[in-house]
Amino acid sequence: MDIYLPIAEVSVNAPLLVALGALVGFISGLFGIGGGFLMTPVLVFLGIPPAVAVASMANHVAASSMSSVISYSRRRLVDFRMGGVLAGGGVVGAIVGVELFRWLRLLGQADLVVALSYLIFLGIIGGLMLWESLGAIPRRRRGEPPPARRDRRPPWLYGLPLKMRFPSSRLFISVIPPILLGAFVGVLSAIMGVGGGFILVPAMIYILRMPASVVVGTSLFQIIVTTALTGVLQAGRNQTVDIVLATLLLAGGVLGAQLGARASSRFRAEELRAVLALIVLVVGLRMGLGLFVRPDEPFVLMSGLGG
Amino acid sequence: MIPAVAPPPPAPPVVSAALTETQVQVNSGFRGARIVLYGAVFDPLNRPSDVVVLVRGPEQPVRIARKTRIVGLWVNSRPVVFQGAPGFYIAASTRPLDEIARFGELRRLGAGVDHLAINAPAEQRTETRYGVRDVVVSRLGGDYLDWRRAVVRLKEKAGLYAAEEHGVRFVDRGLFRAEIALPAEAPIGQYQARIVLFQNGQPVSEKVRTLTVAKVGAERGLYLWAHRRPWSYGLAAMAFALGAGWAASRAFRRD
Repeated sequence: MDIYLPIAEVSVNAPLLVALGALVGFISGLFGIGGGFLMTPVLVFLGIPPAVAVASMANHVAASSMSSVISYSRRRLVDFRMGGVLAGGGVVGAIVGVELFRWLRLLGQADLVVALSYLIFLGIIGGLMLWESLGAIPRRRRGEPPPARRDRRPPWLYGLPLKMRFPSSRLFISVIPPILLGAFVGVLSAIMGVGGGFILVPAMIYILRMPASVVVGTSLFQIIVTTALTGVLQAGRNQTVDIVLATLLLAGGVLGAQLGARASSRFRAEELRAVLALIVLVVGLRMGLGLFVRPDEPFVLMSGLGG
Repeated sequence: MIPAVAPPPPAPPVVSAALTETQVQVNSGFRGARIVLYGAVFDPLNRPSDVVVLVRGPEQPVRIARKTRIVGLWVNSRPVVFQGAPGFYIAASTRPLDEIARFGELRRLGAGVDHLAINAPAEQRTETRYGVRDVVVSRLGGDYLDWRRAVVRLKEKAGLYAAEEHGVRFVDRGLFRAEIALPAEAPIGQYQARIVLFQNGQPVSEKVRTLTVAKVGAERGLYLWAHRRPWSYGLAAMAFALGAGWAASRAFRRD
């Protein structure tokens, strides 16, 4: 059953999109991530114009994050103050990111920047995660305890001005690093069509030193605020949000996410992380590979004249 | 008494045609359309006739870039804008066009993908557009033909340009039929079908028919909303998405 997407102006197979949403939702529930980094490349591969895929994903990610943040906040696992500071940076980042993306499209360099961002960020994060989890699995098999977490707090984080107290995270740190982190993730969400959880979560643990328990809920909160703004800006500035596309993905996505979350308790955390790391790495390399291979067709048509 | 008159000179040959549909409705089930065109050639002398059907969609400037290798990476060049390119173009004929008429005649009519009046405006110049400096809008020197061919090739690959050398068939004496395949990606707007009758390499009669491709129903509503009031559309779309997320969490609440 095909359905014509009014903004993307292409005809797609509706059950396929719902199934794709469910699959990505399952993965995102299983690993506690947004899954935008998987979904956006697949949509482009299915023939959806990249600008529409990136922009519509903002709506999809906002909706799926909304569906999971509520249960975290009910269990008091969201640091709203930290989330608010991150989101403050995210708002600036989203505005900059949408304008940057518009400008890159006019220059004809949007594809390049998207591919490079995937290659660099997914490559680095996937590589680090794989390294870390491959180290952890044999250690656990040998029955060794995990290495003691070095809790040395980086001095540069504590030397900065504008300190603020974050009771839920038991932190008293400058607001500058979270604002910068939020802004950076906001830019990425506009350019890559992702929520940015794959960067936020490790950064909150390893750089901000937040307790692991509140990290996922807080990153979801920041992602909702940032992607909600990105989605509205993409629609307002670029007219590229396809609500039919976002709704189809969402229909499968929520179901998949719930099933994934239930399935996640059956697997060990390190093994899950190793699999996720592989997925992240493969997607990053796949997106970046095209930059190094001589293209069959040296010319490309650019969609849209006015951006 | 009836005055004697000279027998009238034979009527000039005339072509006539009609589209079976003049309105293509793009709704949620749209997967492209096939438009059938029927026509007839009226020629008392029965001279050998060829029919060419040229269907042009609304004009859409084309932005195209060429990938070049820069420090090991394949990177897009600055995009070049071609003006005058139709968003959809099909040239269907009874025989290959170059057998029907000469180059000059085809060029004058703009018949065939090779004769489309696509050009990057005459002189080399760069402009500032939308605040971006140095957008090339130009004739590209020696490479110009490569670029122009690339526009046609990429549009053909997308199913938006086509040359159907036997797309027009005579089904009976003087009666012909052509089928036009519109892909789902075909642009929205006014289409023009020119039906040209050729005899002895010359166009002798021509008819023009129009076809409208329009979004209808919810598709049209959403499209117009998103383009005319983009901010309210964006806000509503996001409110809907957040509401859907919230509803989903309620539906799956486990406690």
